[in-house]
Amino acid sequence: MKHLRAVNQKARRIEDYLAANDDVVGLQAPAGQRPHVPMGCSLVFSPGWEVDSAGGTAGLCQPVERDLYDCYITCFWPAQVPDHLNNYPDWTAKCAAATKDWRNIDLVFP
Amino acid sequence: MRFALAVLLATSASAQGTLFVGTWPHTIHVVDEAKQKVIDKIDLSTGTPLDMTLSEDRKTLYIETLENAGFEVIDVATHKVTNSLTLNEGSKKYRFSAWAPDPEGKLIYTLYRTVEKKSDRFEVDRNTKFGVIDLAQKKIVRTGDVPKDEEQVGFGFGGGMRFSPDGKFLYVFRNSVYIFDTTDFKMVDKIDLSKPQFPGMASLGMGRVLDSIQEPGMLISVFNSQDPVVHRSIFGIARFDLNKRTFEFTPVGPSATGMTGLQVTPDRKRGYTVAFNGQGGTRRCEFWEFDLANNKLIRKQEFDGRARFSFGISSTGKEFYIFGAGYTVEVYDAASMQLRNTIDLSADITSGMVVVPATR
Repeated sequence: MKHLRAVNQKARRIEDYLAANDDVVGLQAPAGQRPHVPMGCSLVFSPGWEVDSAGGTAGLCQPVERDLYDCYITCFWPAQVPDHLNNYPDWTAKCAAATKDWRNIDLVFP
Repeated sequence: MRFALAVLLATSASAQGTLFVGTWPHTIHVVDEAKQKVIDKIDLSTGTPLDMTLSEDRKTLYIETLENAGFEVIDVATHKVTNSLTLNEGSKKYRFSAWAPDPEGKLIYTLYRTVEKKSDRFEVDRNTKFGVIDLAQKKIVRTGDVPKDEEQVGFGFGGGMRFSPDGKFLYVFRNSVYIFDTTDFKMVDKIDLSKPQFPGMASLGMGRVLDSIQEPGMLISVFNSQDPVVHRSIFGIARFDLNKRTFEFTPVGPSATGMTGLQVTPDRKRGYTVAFNGQGGTRRCEFWEFDLANNKLIRKQEFDGRARFSFGISSTGKEFYIFGAGYTVEVYDAASMQLRNTIDLSADITSGMVVVPATR
């Protein structure tokens, strides 16, 4: 910050410290405690049973069908939904908008 | 007088452009901005649209599809697919971390890794490579190595790729800007964003820098940085000149929890982004408006954001679009920053949105 300059003793001491050392580690923001979900966003292979990055459900899309296809598209993780790539490519052939048409999704019995 | 007004209104409506949105399962929805209605649907033969980009002359749309590492080319005027190809071959599959069509529209430059299914395992290539796809031959005709000193896995992932206006150099944006000669993929320059010229900034990261209606040869984006003393995050506006290879950074204020990319109006006087503060149930979303001439944040307006969404701007700069996940595009008035109406696509959005301005 070239616009900032030390105007008191403490600030000057920080500047001096930085000149001698690379960093003030104690001033770094502590890493937040994150939940550990071993399999990504869910513990079970069922859409809807997932958690957000904070370990809760408030950050998930509502209704859950809104981003159902994203398990497959951006997560590259088809385990939550039927195997669209090889075995069940047509499981959503009659359902373009999952929130509206989820009743048309095919049942899959692996 | 009434006739004149009707003509004026018709002209005003036709001055708006067209939206192209990729949807599930393998469709591009075409939306008329003036009518705010779906006017056409383009079926893709190679799979689910994953990413889209518009050519510099705004006449051609390039689409990456998911299932078979495919690309499709669409003529913007006629909405017809003029070319399509897939690269996966049997058990060998391609994964792209970034791609961009060359200025002539004959080649697509990619950064990719291969995954090969063996009898007892998948073999994932540890090295990312450059691959040049010839759209006429529908195959990779040239490859190149990523510099060995750079991180191989995921090189370029989450960043952007852009050509210099003359097509001689390829820019890969991530935490650094890598500049490659397109003839032999030799790195000719590297601009380390963690050591910018601007004193006091460290850990600099550019947002997603690509946009379809920005100034040719110039990228404008928001960036985030931490000062080296107390590690307080600040954000600002960055401009990168693709011709001169120069960066210009202007810090603006404390960072929000997250920000979308910067959307710029056609006159380049105003920029907009969506800033988030908080997480999960306490997250709040705001539109932020910037005066780009003075690099100042001039207005904020809270709105009801979805849990996950993308942000776009209309071809006239007078509307915002909030879209994905889901099947709707919410249209906000840029002047009042209030929800105006919702476009129902009746299909879940799977890719970004490309806004093509009207030609006249």
